[in-house]
Amino acid sequence: MEVQKEAQRIMTLSVWKMYHSRMQRGGLRLHRSLQLSLVMRSARELYLAAKVEALELEAPSPPAPCPQDPRLHQAREAEVPAACPPPDGEPPEPMDAQEAAEEAAAPPRAAELPARCSLRPARVGRKRRSSSNPSDGVDAGLAPSKKARLEEQEASAEPPGRLPPASAPAEGAFPNLARVLQRSFSGLLSRGPAAAPTAPPARDATPACRAADPVLRVLVRTVVAF
Amino acid sequence: MKCFSRYLPYIFRPPNTILSSSCYTEADIISTVEFNHTGELLATGDKGGRVVIFQREQESKNQVHRRGEYNVYSTFQSHEPEFDYLKSLEIEEKINKIRWLPQQNAAYFLLSTNDKTVKLWKVSERDKRPEGYNLKDEEGRLRDPATITTLRVPVLRPMDLMVEATPRRVFANAHTYHINSISVNSDYETYMSADDLRINLWNFEITNQSFNIVDIKPANMEELTEVITAAEFHPHHCNTFVYSSSKGTIRLCDMRASALCDRHTKFFEEPEDPSNRSFFSEIISSISDVKFSHSGRYIMTRDYLTVKVWDLNMENRPIETYQVHDYLRSKLCSLYENDCIFDKFECVWNGSDSVIMTGSYNNFFRMFDRNTKRDVTLEASRENSKPRAILKPRKVCVGGKRRKDEISVDSLDFSKKILHTAWHPSENIIAVAATNNLYIFQDKVN
Repeated sequence: MEVQKEAQRIMTLSVWKMYHSRMQRGGLRLHRSLQLSLVMRSARELYLAAKVEALELEAPSPPAPCPQDPRLHQAREAEVPAACPPPDGEPPEPMDAQEAAEEAAAPPRAAELPARCSLRPARVGRKRRSSSNPSDGVDAGLAPSKKARLEEQEASAEPPGRLPPASAPAEGAFPNLARVLQRSFSGLLSRGPAAAPTAPPARDATPACRAADPVLRVLVRTVVAF
Repeated sequence: MKCFSRYLPYIFRPPNTILSSSCYTEADIISTVEFNHTGELLATGDKGGRVVIFQREQESKNQVHRRGEYNVYSTFQSHEPEFDYLKSLEIEEKINKIRWLPQQNAAYFLLSTNDKTVKLWKVSERDKRPEGYNLKDEEGRLRDPATITTLRVPVLRPMDLMVEATPRRVFANAHTYHINSISVNSDYETYMSADDLRINLWNFEITNQSFNIVDIKPANMEELTEVITAAEFHPHHCNTFVYSSSKGTIRLCDMRASALCDRHTKFFEEPEDPSNRSFFSEIISSISDVKFSHSGRYIMTRDYLTVKVWDLNMENRPIETYQVHDYLRSKLCSLYENDCIFDKFECVWNGSDSVIMTGSYNNFFRMFDRNTKRDVTLEASRENSKPRAILKPRKVCVGGKRRKDEISVDSLDFSKKILHTAWHPSENIIAVAATNNLYIFQDKVN
């Protein structure tokens, strides 16, 4: 559990850093974004490994194959309508505009996940109940989770955002990211990174199952896509 | 290594900051330090886009044993903040690197770069000015032709020495990502600039074109796994250069092999030690600086905790590894929280390639003698450095009982970091940048 909490804390911290790196002069730094995403990936793997261990301890019977988390399904659904802002007309440097469009499209998907990830541990029980029918409509799976999130969120900030509005024209390098981050992480940011830094726990156990989180994998990739 | 315990500190900064060293603006933070090829000049760049050049005094005949001191020679604004309207991004004016060109005439030339633009500056002296023009008066205004009745030839008269810096070339719009390195080629006609994903080759005379020689940008940016962190030309072979990556690898490329050097000639990588694997392993293995030795036989790389020396003839592991501050290995999580884990330290060789130097925290810097395998930790601080005093070696106490002069790991000041240092090309003179202060230390002669 400690390991899970630590991993969650580091994931939250990484997202916070990535959000703030937008604000700094000179814009987002590719190297820094890459390093942050690497840490997030390590934290995610550690978190999942710890979660798998916890699940194995709680339920000695063989665990469900690659936990079908309805939230992951929802997030995958959420990705699809995320629009790719069109490049600005015929730019003189097409490569730059294309890159800006790629980069703008990629992060919004990334933005949704950490908010949900960070609020996960408290609702493991609830997750397992709703995971029994993962193929239910998105809304059926979505609604209980959203209610749970609203009930348990201590901060008064608005709930994690829905899908970013589609087809927003490119206002800058990362327009959708700006909107999504502002909405999604207001709760996260009001909590801020936890105090009392501790040494990172050693990763003693490799996760039993890695295939469970295709969307989280996308998170890492899209974050890297800066 | 006895010379390293006998350094005389000099502190040089423009006068208005010496008096108030504790309160400085962010623009005063030194971001690069570089000696020229003779060591006569020392250039510093700061976050405010300024370049300050120091010149060594000529040794006087009266005081033969007194080494020349460095005084301010020229100050100019190299880069200004800019705004990229297409991407809505501000471009910082911070000087990332300065590189000198070898001197070929009376003027000095240097390259300075920020995140996007490289500039070639000419620094020249003027100690005479022409007087006695026919058509202009003394203030430079045109004279009424009706009043001109005689013809005279202008003559050069001495004036107070003036050092002027003029931008001779501006190399812009060639980098999508942030420039981290520039390196002058040994042919003195070309140089390269490297950003996170690409390296471009320039000719000094041509500013509107550059050749792309390395491009590691993947077709799908989601597949990006590493970036270029530093690059340098070989000191003697104009066809050879190296670049380091965020994964801790170094690639040596030969420009004769192909126009686009995407395939390396040599690949230097050390297998990871599984016992050292931690949560932040990938971050701390990123190489922040790579430098060829003066001989051209070795390369030195700096990652977060170590300095490594590689032989160009052996790719599978470095020949020497030096621990800079291994006591930080257990503090990586805290260093991640306060962003210190992202600090990019540089490393330098001395003139004979026998000693290497790099910075650390708490204004400490470290020197490693490759021959005797001895190392020393010194501190660059105003309190500890009186003029003509000898620098005392410092020691960090890792655990257990702390001795009198030792400092414990938890007492280290991580806001005081030495990222940039330089070593005179032939003498034991070092320049150490500590935030907004520049310290110049010389070896004591007698």
